[in-house]
This record gives sequence, C-alpha cells and structure tokens, in this order.
Amino acid sequence: MTTAQLSAESAFIPGFDESSLPANGNQPALLQAKRAAAFAQYREVPAPTARDDEWRRTDPASFPFERFVPAAALGPLEEAPTPGPWDSEFDVVVSVSDAGFHIKDNAGVLGGDKLVVETLADAAIHHSELVERYLQGPARVKQPRKFSSLGDAFWNFGLFIYAPARSVFTRGVLIRYHHTRSGQAVLPRLLAVVGEQAELTIAEYYESPETAELLAISTREFYAGKGAVLRAASLQEWGARTFHIGEDWARAERDARVEWVTLLLGGLVSKMMVTCDVSEPNANAYLSGLFFANDNQHVDQRTLQLHSSPNTYSNLLYKGAVKDHGHSIYQGIIDASPGAIKVDAYQMNNNLILSEGARADSLPGLEIDADDLKCSHGATFGNLDPNQLFYLQSRGLTKGVARQLLVMAFFEEVIARVPHEFMRERVREDVRRKCGDSV
Amino acid sequence: MSDTETTFKLETDSALVQEYKYGFVSDVEADQLPKGLNEDIIRAISAKKKEPEWMTEWRLKAYRRWQKKDYPKWAKVEYPPVDFQDIRYYSAPKMNPKEGGEIDPELARTFEKLGIPIEERNHLAGVAVDAVFDSMSIATTHREMLAEKGIIFCSMSEALQQHPELVRKYLGSVVPPGDNFYAALNSAVFSDGSFCFIPKGVRCPVELSTYFRINAKDTGQFERTLIVAEEGAYVSYIEGCTAPQRDNNQLHAAVVELIAMEGAEIKYSTVQNWYAGDENGQGGIYNFVTKRGHCRGANSKISWTQVEVGAAITWKYPSVILEGDNSVGEFYSVAFTNKKMQADTGTKMIHIGKNTSSTIISKGISAGESVNSYRGMVRILPSALNARNHTCCDSMLIGDKCFANTYPVIEAETSTAIIEHEATTSKISEEQLFYVQSRGIDEESATSLIVNGFCRDVFKELPMEFSVEAIKLLELKLEHSVG
Repeated sequence: MTTAQLSAESAFIPGFDESSLPANGNQPALLQAKRAAAFAQYREVPAPTARDDEWRRTDPASFPFERFVPAAALGPLEEAPTPGPWDSEFDVVVSVSDAGFHIKDNAGVLGGDKLVVETLADAAIHHSELVERYLQGPARVKQPRKFSSLGDAFWNFGLFIYAPARSVFTRGVLIRYHHTRSGQAVLPRLLAVVGEQAELTIAEYYESPETAELLAISTREFYAGKGAVLRAASLQEWGARTFHIGEDWARAERDARVEWVTLLLGGLVSKMMVTCDVSEPNANAYLSGLFFANDNQHVDQRTLQLHSSPNTYSNLLYKGAVKDHGHSIYQGIIDASPGAIKVDAYQMNNNLILSEGARADSLPGLEIDADDLKCSHGATFGNLDPNQLFYLQSRGLTKGVARQLLVMAFFEEVIARVPHEFMRERVREDVRRKCGDSV
Repeated sequence: MSDTETTFKLETDSALVQEYKYGFVSDVEADQLPKGLNEDIIRAISAKKKEPEWMTEWRLKAYRRWQKKDYPKWAKVEYPPVDFQDIRYYSAPKMNPKEGGEIDPELARTFEKLGIPIEERNHLAGVAVDAVFDSMSIATTHREMLAEKGIIFCSMSEALQQHPELVRKYLGSVVPPGDNFYAALNSAVFSDGSFCFIPKGVRCPVELSTYFRINAKDTGQFERTLIVAEEGAYVSYIEGCTAPQRDNNQLHAAVVELIAMEGAEIKYSTVQNWYAGDENGQGGIYNFVTKRGHCRGANSKISWTQVEVGAAITWKYPSVILEGDNSVGEFYSVAFTNKKMQADTGTKMIHIGKNTSSTIISKGISAGESVNSYRGMVRILPSALNARNHTCCDSMLIGDKCFANTYPVIEAETSTAIIEHEATTSKISEEQLFYVQSRGIDEESATSLIVNGFCRDVFKELPMEFSVEAIKLLELKLEHSVG
C-alpha cells in the first residue's frame, strides 16, 4: 500500500482506470454506451474516504485494491460444470467460475417467450428496449456513487433475467458464483426485471476457498413491475480472505412486492449497500438481513428504505451477531420524500454480542419530509438471556448446546424469510458452525 | 405590570409581539467593547473582569486553538456563515449593583417584566437566582443563606476573583478549550455565567437558577457555567433564556460543565426561549451550545432536562460521561420548532464505568417549515461491564412542510451491555384528535392537549413551577401552528 493509496482526489480506485476497462470492441453498441456513461461518472465522483459518514467505520483504504487485477470478461463454458446439490430445485441454474459461465435450463422454460436468462451482451440484442430502460435505470436513486459506477463500467460478467408479464416462476433461478483465483477482482453484474403481475424467485450463492484472496464488487438492479412479486435471496459464503463491496438497488412499482433477504456469513471485509425504492402507491418491500461476524470479520451494511410515493409500505429486519474480534455496523435510513403521505415504514436491527472483544454499531436513521405517515425504528444490543440459558441447562443441555440453540432461535425469524428450504438449512449450519464450542 | 409596560421601547410593533412577549429591548446604558475579535479584545475582556493572569493566558490559548479549527458543517442546519468580526464580545450594564452601585431601575424593571425575582422575596422563595444581562451577572439572590451551608453560588467573574483555586481546578476539565469550534470560541471570550459549588454531603435546599438575557444589539452572549457537586451532594439547577426581537441574527455560544463526585447528584433543567425569528426566518438567535456532565465518582447521577422552544438555530447535545461505577445519566428533551426554525439536538452517553446506566427520552415536535433533528450517541466502552441504556425518541409532525430527522449512533463494545433504542415519527394522531374534538373541544385546544400528553414524560422531570411554565409556553407556541 505505497504508491496506489486511495484518496479522495484520485479519480480512480487503484486498479480500475482506462487501461483496465474490459475490451469493449465486440459488444453491442448499447452496452458500450452504457459502460462509457458509467465510466465518465465513475471518473467524476470523488472516491469515498473515512471522513464520509457512510465510510467512517469501514475505511475505504482498508481495501487493498492495488493487490487485485480485474478478471477478464467471462465466456460460455464448453462443458456443463459439475452440478451443485441444489441445482434440481430450480428452473434455471447459472454457474459462474473463473473459467466461464454456464446456463442450464432444468424446466425447459428458456427460449420462446417464457423466462429469459441470458448474458447482458445477448440481452442488449434480444431485449434492447428493456436493457436500455432498466440497466443503470430508475432504481438508481441518490446517485452518483463511486462503486456503483465502477461496477457499471467494469463488470466482467453481466446477467439479465426477465420474467414476462403474468408468468410465474416460484422455483426460479439460482446463480452460483465460485471463484478460486487469488489476486483477481470479480465484478458480477445482475439486472432482473419482473413484468406486470409476474412472480419470480432468484437465489444467489457466493463462495471461494478459505485461502484465496479475492475482491468482489457486485452490482445488482431489481425491478418489480405493477403487481409483480420478486423474491430474492443471496447467501454470501466467501472464504476468510475475500473483500466484498456490494451496491444493490431495487424498485417496486404499483402494487408490487419485493422480498429481499441478504445473508452475510463469509468474507473478511464486507461493505454492502441496499436501496429499495417503493416508488408507486401500494408497493411493498420486506427487507431482511442476517450477518454473523466472528474471528476478524468486518461487516458493514447500509440500507435505504426510500418512500418516494404515498401509500407505500416497507418492513426491514436485520439481525446480527458478533463474536471474537468481529465488528458489525448497521446503518439504516428511512427516507420519506415530500408528499409521501400514508407511508408505513419500519426498521428493526437486533444485535447479539457473544464475546468480549467483539463490537456492534448501529445507526438507525429517519429522514422525514412528509407529515401524514408512520415511521419507526428500533435497535437492540445484548448477549443471550441468562435466564433462558439457565432454563435450558436445568433441562440437561450443556452450556454450549444451550447457547447454540438460543443463537439459532435468535436468527430463526430472519431465516424463515428465506424462500428455499435447502438455503435455510445451509444458513442454520453456518450459524451453528460459527457458534462453535467456545460460545 | 401594566403601568410600566409603556416605558419599554418595542422595536417592532406587529402582532408578533404578542406571540413572543419577551421581544422587547431595555434601554440600559452599556459599557461595551468594540466589535471584532483579536487577542487585544480577549485581554480587554479579561481585564474588565479583573481576572488573574493565568485566566488571561487560558483564554488566549483557547483563542489560538479556535483560529486553527474548522467551521463545523456536519449538523443538519443551514445558515449563512457567521462573521465573527462583526460581533461585539462584551457589553455590560454600566451601573453594577454588585460593585456597590445601585441597580439600574430599567434593569430591575426588565427582570420584573420577565418574571425573574432579582430581589429576595417570598414569592418563588424556593429559588435562588443569578441574573445575567448580556455579558454581566447583575444580581444573585439568597447568597447568605446558601453560604451558611457552604454552598457557593455566584457569577463566574466573582468566582474567578473569590475562588480562583476552585475554578482553576475544574474549569475546562469536562469541556476542554479545544473540544470543538464553539467551545474554543467560548473559552476565549466567555463573559458571565454561574458557578455553583456544593460541598460534601450538602443537599442544596433551594433550586439554583440562572436567567440569561441578551439585550444589546450585535452582541453575542458567551456564558460559561460550572457546577461541581462534591461527594454526596445534591443540587437542582434551572436555566432560562430570552432575547429581544430583532431582524439580524445574534450568536449565543455557551459552555456548561457539570461535575458529580461520588454519590453526588446534579439535576440541570433548561427552558430555552430565545427569540426564534419571524415567519420568513428573518432574525433570531443562533444557539450553539456545548453542555457536558461528568459522573466522576461512583454512584453519581447527572440528569439533563431541556425544553427547547426558541432560537432560530439550535445546535446542542447535553451529554454525560459515565466514568464512575454505577453512575446514572439521564436526558429528557422536548424540542419544538415552527416557522423556519432549525433544531439539531440530542445527547451523548459515554459509558466507561461498570454497571452504568443511561436513559434518553427525546420528543421532537416540528411545525411550520421547520427542521427538527435528533442526533444522539450511545457508546459502551469495553470497560463498561453491565452497562444499560434505554433510548426513546419520538417525533411529531404538524403540517406538511416540516422535516423530522433522527440520527442515532449506538456502539457496543461489551457483550454484557443491554441497549434498547426505539424511535417513531408520525403525524399527530387523527383518531386522538377526533376523539377529543368529539367531546366538544376545538381543534387548537385538542392539538395542544395531545402535544402536552406527548411531552408528559419530559415535563414531569422539570421542577414544579418550571413544569407549569413549560406547558404554558408550549401552548402559546402551538397557537399559531395549527390549521
């Protein structure tokens, strides 16, 4: 960290400048234009520093950007990769690895006018209108942001998912990211559009080996059309040496419903931002989060519940635990725009501090510019209830098992919001493992 | 009072005077220093107050630190930059009764009109008053009775002359001169304020009270208050403030330091009613205040209660450092804003000692086109085993052009802490309004009743007479905000 130190003056994040822009020549003109616009913006916006409120607790300089080289654009794999244990549960499975990507149609839903799952490059040709309208589209409120623009300009794998009007895919799409090559920066980009009255489930799973040092900068955009239902769950199980910056955006139109679960269990340093705009009357958003920082893990999450329209509803529940030298930060904002009346917004952040040396911070905020509404938030901190522990021990459980049980119970409220049973089971396993014997 | 009323010169003659009845100007001959700020002015202030040499040096050091500080911009308030060279830092009434002279009759009438008894009398006998007019304390009542118990209650200037060793020991020990921009400015130029010292084991028999009045034009008020409660002592202190109604803004930058030793308790109550400016945001006081208490000894307690209904801009975070084991910090606040007022207020509770606990109850009411923000921090350090905090901050919105923001920060660094935080923002409840109105009460009174209920948790913490005053004050302020 000598020459390439990050500072507010530098236009570029180390490693991400003109020379590292992905080869653009053979891409559709639409994507070229979008990337160029994003790059121009990325260059304009000052890099965040630890003096910015949002980054005060996670110094941008703690990301060793200079140690990473952006991964090359991914091409299709010749052969199907070994199937994962959950593949059969989904209509479509997308596998992404260092070698390339593969899209597998389990239910015969691709092609024709049913479900669309293809690369952004293909989509820019087949569905240019949608890509034009939604990529870097209206979900991007409160712009510009350095890392959103960076993700838009530099993504090395872009995926487009589209459920046409009135289609229903409750099994939905699984995207598996498995990266192993140390020293590379991976930049997945996802655009998902759910048409009018349609229903779609998307699950994402990120993993890397414990020893691989990786940087991931992910950017997602979700759109739920009129009366649509979008269920999204992402399970982040990166190895212990992975850095992750995530910039995620969702927008719900009239009568739409977004259910969005973020499960953060892996990685060394994670800095995630989730914005959900309930943008038209009767739109609903249910945002849930689970995080568990142990060892030296650092998890910083920021959520924005944006009520840009009257008669909208949002409900947020983020639950976290810290242990060892883990440090978690939750920053939440409910923002009601002028005129956004009859809004009902709720935000709850519960924190378990399981051992001395661990630390949890919470900054739940409200910014209200309208009058006829109801917004509230709550935050709690504490260890497990000694009475409950005593009760379980008096029934013959060891202290370790009793503690594990209570931690599981604490998280169950969020786990129950995950759409797939196997993913729920996986998270329970992770939590159990992280509790270990020492809790 | 009606016969004396006409003798007061009213600067504006509109209906607004009714609303802010403290908006008059008193015609008192003043001893003033020229506008502007430099080392000579600071030396002059120090000389006027006949301060010891070390105090002058202390002020100059603070001034040098202030010059190096950046102008704070983080609060959710907007105003044109303050021209610190266009402010008069010292203005005191010429006739000083404390130095053997007679009290200026105009001054006596001013405090009479404000309802502040500067001469001892039976009415409000339970309160000892220190009255500060611009840069000078002009009267302190009940001093002999207090002195018998060993309690020192006097103005800061007198304390510096009569008890320099005590002042030197405690001044700046809670809010160091370089703490923040306005604290540094205050440390350099502070004029008067109160000094209270409650010796070991003494329970102060009356409420101590300081009344701050800004009168002179283009003057800033930089009060400095220091309250020390020794082992096992108890004191309840009340502060009130008003200012004339003027078109330009005036700066009030105070520093208040509270120190509670083992087993001591300090209860600090404020009713702040500075002039808030008119409908267009013209004029009003900038209220940039640093207030901090330090629970130094075990089992000590510091409690802040504030009712903030005035000032064009408020920037104020009465805080408690809970260092002694088992110490208790409390913050009860009602902040009301209307017209174009801006308030960014809240508290900090820093838990250091074991078994420390803190309570924060904040009620914000925004009306008109005002901006009302709560900003608070609860910090539990690793040493604060079994620390406990409960925070509840509620905001009520009256009208559709006002803003309500809540910015809490909670940091927990021990697994033994229990922290609960809750906040709500909502419109005044339609059901409640309907219910009260259906019982034959008009909308304005109904609103007032509901707002009163909303603030009850805070008002009940105020000393009795003050509580009644605060309720009346809020009613008066609400009168022009409904509809």
